[in-house]
Amino acid sequence: MNAADVRDRLASLRAAGEVLRSRRPEGVIEALAAVLDRWRDPNGPERCELERELPAATGFSPANVKAGLALALAPWSGDALRDVTRRALAPLAEAVRGEDTTGVILAGAIPMPTLLAIVEPLALRSPVLAKSASRDPVTAHLVARSIAAVDPALGEAVGIVDFPSADGEALEAFLGADRIVATGSDETIAAVARRVADPKRVLGHGHRLSVAVLGPEAVRGAALLEATRGTALDTALWDQLGCLSPVVVFAPRGACPEVGAALANALAEIEARLPRGAVAPRVEALTMHERSGAELRGATGGDVVVHCDDSCAWTVIVENDAEPRPMPLHRFLRVHPSDDAADLLAALAPYAKHLAGVALAGFGSEESALRPELAALGASRICAPGELQAPPLDWPRDGIPAFAALVRTE
Amino acid sequence: MTAPAGDPARAALDDAVIAWAREPWDDTGWPRDDARFERLALALFAHQFEHCAPYRRFCENRDRTPENVARWQDVPAIPTGAFKELALTSFPIERAVHVFRTSGTSAKTRGALHLDTLAVYEASLRASFLRHLLPDRTDDTPVPMRVLAPSMKEAPDSSLSHMFDAVMTEVGAAGSRHWVVDGGLDTERVVRELEAGCDAGDAPLLVCGTAFSFVHLLEALEKEGRRFALPPNTRVMETGGFKGRSRVLPRDELYAWIDDRLGVAAARIVNQYGMTELGSQFYDSVLCDPRGPRRKLAPPWTRVRLLEPGGSEEVASGETGRIAIVDLANTGSVCALETADLGRAVGDGFEVLGREPGAEERGCSVAADLLLGES
Repeated sequence: MNAADVRDRLASLRAAGEVLRSRRPEGVIEALAAVLDRWRDPNGPERCELERELPAATGFSPANVKAGLALALAPWSGDALRDVTRRALAPLAEAVRGEDTTGVILAGAIPMPTLLAIVEPLALRSPVLAKSASRDPVTAHLVARSIAAVDPALGEAVGIVDFPSADGEALEAFLGADRIVATGSDETIAAVARRVADPKRVLGHGHRLSVAVLGPEAVRGAALLEATRGTALDTALWDQLGCLSPVVVFAPRGACPEVGAALANALAEIEARLPRGAVAPRVEALTMHERSGAELRGATGGDVVVHCDDSCAWTVIVENDAEPRPMPLHRFLRVHPSDDAADLLAALAPYAKHLAGVALAGFGSEESALRPELAALGASRICAPGELQAPPLDWPRDGIPAFAALVRTE
Repeated sequence: MTAPAGDPARAALDDAVIAWAREPWDDTGWPRDDARFERLALALFAHQFEHCAPYRRFCENRDRTPENVARWQDVPAIPTGAFKELALTSFPIERAVHVFRTSGTSAKTRGALHLDTLAVYEASLRASFLRHLLPDRTDDTPVPMRVLAPSMKEAPDSSLSHMFDAVMTEVGAAGSRHWVVDGGLDTERVVRELEAGCDAGDAPLLVCGTAFSFVHLLEALEKEGRRFALPPNTRVMETGGFKGRSRVLPRDELYAWIDDRLGVAAARIVNQYGMTELGSQFYDSVLCDPRGPRRKLAPPWTRVRLLEPGGSEEVASGETGRIAIVDLANTGSVCALETADLGRAVGDGFEVLGREPGAEERGCSVAADLLLGES
């Protein structure tokens, strides 16, 4: 696909947009609600195709794809879409619409962001031109076919393009869309913003991460088991590569050894039913390097403990300080001590700029005071361990209101 | 100057490595002596086991002691990242005469190599640099040098700046200088000197620097629309990567750009693989073995192993492995290091593998170095 193809596609979407905006918004929402309900069906064609094709394309294990989709799509029902769009867009009545065209630059290999990235502009009757993620050549095309199957006219308002990122001319043509939503590295988003005349047209979703925070009531007995099993699930799903994947765990200082051991058991258990997928050699190299580093710190009396299996399938390192350290990901967790809420917030400060989710447990009556503090740090999703990877449809990703942020501004 | 008096075992080790580094090479290359290496490596291990407490505990944790380690391959290797966490010296740290630090934005993210003598370090760097950048130098004629890196005065804790200054002192002709001054590239001066061929005449001009500084220079030349044809005997040495930088350039593209703007072909561009934590450096073979494949050559007082990325055994020949090094020039710290870098054996050397093109993480999780660079 070359620049001329991209320009042609964008032109046809502009024409489709005229037709789309002549439809009543409710009709478009109904069609999209039907699409989401299809995707929620574990036996539906979309889920079956994803479970069949995505593992080979992305390297995730089939079990991980199946479990990840089941958990994440459960709250994304047609009713949820009706409710969310009603609440988000109601004050703006029938005049509300998106831009004439929306260009969506997709990234990563997790399918739900791709689904939502295409649904959101359509809900505002803005045709979508989506550039597939290089790591996931399956989902965007599947979303387009799914929409066309439910509503052929709506399907005319979706275009999927694939071209190398290095093709500057094709990118230039793509950036002719009226609104750009870009997902990727901070450098990619900055580069896109530099190439458009009005950077305000670009909505960026850059690098993000999440954390788990356990309080004193979650570090013993059944509560510990529940919290660490939930954290292990959050970590194992999508092999810790999503923005809602926890990369570190904070726990009360005296309880870190128990939390680390419980997390290790939980990750070992989950490896059996949700095996980790393919891993690049450089990730394995970094994992071994960090394990050795922790081993050295532990040997020198640092109360640092390494839990790992014989391969690189998972690693838990119990640290004795809150210093940020390299994160190989792919099921690699560090447990850091914190003494109290103030200490915790100070320890989270280095992560604030990239913080997405916080899995929170065990703070009892203190939780109501802690939540706003975490939100002020930047957390856009605060939930119990085990729920990070199932955000609602209206999750304000990166603090940006779902749907409303794409409303056309005159 | 070798190790302070009162440490004769250490002094003997230093002297042995320095003597080795001063031995000449011949047309067949740099003689390799496995027995000599093993003897010194095991002696150095024993010394460091005794005098570096953190290292000793690490080795004991792995049940490896001088009593049961009989091969250099079994000397426990510590990760290079450990230098950010601990002062790893085999001498009392109050005797340190110099500290080299890794790059980074804060003290918390910078590793440190403490040295109680610069003699071994300088002997090693001198030998390797001359062997691989000036293999055709047959006399003591000074060599014009231009360096795209700050001087030691501006960057006293940079091992790279120290290296360039040491070489400039040893072989640099009058007029040799740094092109990075007061933290910036003096583009006007650089262009004037390039116009004059850096006054090299027939002498082999040496242009050295970090890869990123070369990119700065080339961008400036491109912006000005300038191209130069440096003297035919010019050779370029570049090192370092683009970690944490906004622009990442594959090496072949960098070399093509250098050729385009400076007129120095890839066959005369030598990459150096080194790190602050290591006393020795590894250079491309292109000048000392122009007919052979481009590969990094290890000086005879070092050994490079390629280990399974997720394990501890050596990989089969040709397979990708993570790079582990035993460097006898690390007499004052720990001689056996493991990196998180990947490499592959090539003939009698190795190549360092960069990140695969487009190999971003599958998701939107932040890269570790991005987060650490901000903290």
